Amino acid sequence: MSELLQIGAVNERPKPPRAEDLNLRFSDRAVAELEALKTHYPNWKACILPGLWIAQREYGGFLSGEAIAEVAHRLQRSYAEVEGVATFYSMYNTAHVPGKHKIEVCTCLTCQVCGAYPLWEHLKAKLGIGHGETTADGMFTLEEVECLNACDRAPLIQVGDQYIGPLDTAGVDRLLDELRGRSDSTVVQMADVVVQVHLREPERNPT
Amino acid sequence: MRNPHGAELFCARTPAWAGRIVLKMAELKLLLEHAHESEFATLRGYVARGGYEGLKAALGMDRQGVIDQIKASGLRGRGGAGFPTWIKWNGIPKEKNGTHYILCNADEGEPGTFKDKQLMEQTPFELIEGMTIAAVATQGDVGYIYIRGEFLDAAKAMRRAIDEAYRDGYLGQNILGSGLNFDLHLHLGAGSYECGEESALMSSLMGERGMPRLKFPHAPLPTIAGLFDRPTVINNVETYCCAPYILKNGGEWYATLGAATKNSRGTKIFSVSGHVNRPGNIEIEFGTSLMELLEMSGGMQGGRLKACVPGGSSVPIINAEACEKAIIGYEEMGDVKTMVGSGGCMFLNDHTCIVKFIWRTALFYARESCGKCTPCREGTKWMLQILTRIVDGKGQPGDDQLLLEICKQIDGRSFCGLGDAAAWPVEAAIRVFPEEFDFYIKNGRSMVETPLMATMSPR
Ligand SMILES: Cc1cc2nc3c(=O)[nH]c(=O)nc-3n(C[C@H](O)[C@H](O)[C@H](O)COP(=O)(O)O)c2cc1C
Ligand code: SF4
Ligand code: FES
Repeated sequence: MSELLQIGAVNERPKPPRAEDLNLRFSDRAVAELEALKTHYPNWKACILPGLWIAQREYGGFLSGEAIAEVAHRLQRSYAEVEGVATFYSMYNTAHVPGKHKIEVCTCLTCQVCGAYPLWEHLKAKLGIGHGETTADGMFTLEEVECLNACDRAPLIQVGDQYIGPLDTAGVDRLLDELRGRSDSTVVQMADVVVQVHLREPERNPT
Repeated sequence: MRNPHGAELFCARTPAWAGRIVLKMAELKLLLEHAHESEFATLRGYVARGGYEGLKAALGMDRQGVIDQIKASGLRGRGGAGFPTWIKWNGIPKEKNGTHYILCNADEGEPGTFKDKQLMEQTPFELIEGMTIAAVATQGDVGYIYIRGEFLDAAKAMRRAIDEAYRDGYLGQNILGSGLNFDLHLHLGAGSYECGEESALMSSLMGERGMPRLKFPHAPLPTIAGLFDRPTVINNVETYCCAPYILKNGGEWYATLGAATKNSRGTKIFSVSGHVNRPGNIEIEFGTSLMELLEMSGGMQGGRLKACVPGGSSVPIINAEACEKAIIGYEEMGDVKTMVGSGGCMFLNDHTCIVKFIWRTALFYARESCGKCTPCREGTKWMLQILTRIVDGKGQPGDDQLLLEICKQIDGRSFCGLGDAAAWPVEAAIRVFPEEFDFYIKNGRSMVETPLMATMSPR
């Protein structure tokens, strides 16, 4: 990544990555969405979070160094700044390429007392992976998450933009089968939904 | 400001000879009255059920008049701290020299709470109208609703409602022909509890890591320099949702609700979960007792009441005896050494191991600490280490005292409220259930021997 870091002169802020050093991948639609978002805030910096959501969708669910650099370039911020933001938040996939579906199991308080840990153990055993890991076939990533704030439905799991609960082990098995049969990636689909809800009606369908 | 009939109401509900409320209260639905009618989430359905009367009333008053109504209502913030709402609104400079922001805290992350989720999904126009009223009162130009990234159903419902409001002239330029301009945007988080803290929320919205900012008196109040360094009103979803009803029916009227309590007015939504038969959101009038709330949720499931965390994971846990005495009100809950908090009420039955419950609470705070200040960053991890060794059966004599010592070092010494909120539950659990900690440390196993206890931790 060192070629993306540009050190300016003394007392100068680090510069944003240059287009000629990058292999820009945002689609026309993504560029239009980012342009629309820029009108929602008094400065471009505030677009970093939504910009990263766009990148997460455009780069197939994974915020690679290139993805982060593209956001930094398009918003004219330094690479380090945008990377620092991206790695702070748990919903950006910055560690490794996630599976096609991310299964987020809440084991927080209400879910804990309503049987989330047996579900969690069941999933770990069934998929053969632990927290933050991805199955070898690239199908599932498993994550233990904190309260999803729908505790009336405990124990609860989030996949993509869906909350599913209350669940038992049989329900989890059915869910896995259903997900295996899906052609699209719920990780990418979720990022798309996040981007869409930011946009006003006229901005969503640029013609 | 106080309801003139307050004293009588108080007598009617709490006879001097009884230590607790005897008159049964039922649910009192104000914000949630029409929540289950899908029509209410459409502009037409909302207006047909009296929606936007509050905004129309506000547009007919001068700005101070709106703030006076909120003051008369006695409305206090529903996000956790219970700060009087009118003081925030009144703190916005009256002389305008640039943009004023209206910010909504919809980052609902407090474990046990799910009221903002339901409000956004089922009554989105209450929130839009409430924020617009705040804009009238404080000359707001732009509003943002900061929704946590996981809440996509809520975000979709808000998006539909905002688009509809723009189409029909309830948002945007010259709202309802009044000359008021107000734009409303949605902004989604990306997974961080700390972004619910108001200054961290502003950092996050401005495109930074979700870390809190320096506070008054070391920095100006957010009403002077908040979001993008401009005057900013920030309130919780439920707080804004109250405003339409206050403006519609008058602050005096609102203040008659909950008049039996010392200083809590109106209704409050409690998210009841845990070992109850009918978990869900219940809107009650302040002054209702905690046991009545439990009854409205269908009573205990699977065992007898052992403990309750009445206001979200951050508030001190109380035992069954204290539950019997607890009256819901900001000051009243203090009498049983707990708080209203955000209203995330978890009831626990006698199969629950308190040590394991507190271990999980500590795990939550250790994971969500933003890492900015030392007491919280190190303290939450340290408490977790100790609790983990206790739960693993390797507790050492004096561990409970050590935990209390660490709590003292974190509480009041942290940069933001998360540190305090991490210390309170641990401190309270050791105070209220000392025998459970003693037993676990001495014997290396839980005092509670039930199948549920066994499932409360991995391994
Ligand atoms: C760690 C922490 C997390 C918080 N999370 C939330 C939250 O999720 N939602 C919320 O409305 N307030 C939350 N708050 C409280 C806010 O800082 C703030 O008090 C509130 O938004 C003010 O609105 P109100 O006056 O309407 O209650 C949190 C506070 C702290 C310290
Ligand atoms: S108390 Fe300190 S470390 Fe903890 S969340 Fe607040 S600022 Fe971050
Ligand atoms: S504890 Fe799992 S959703 Fe709240």
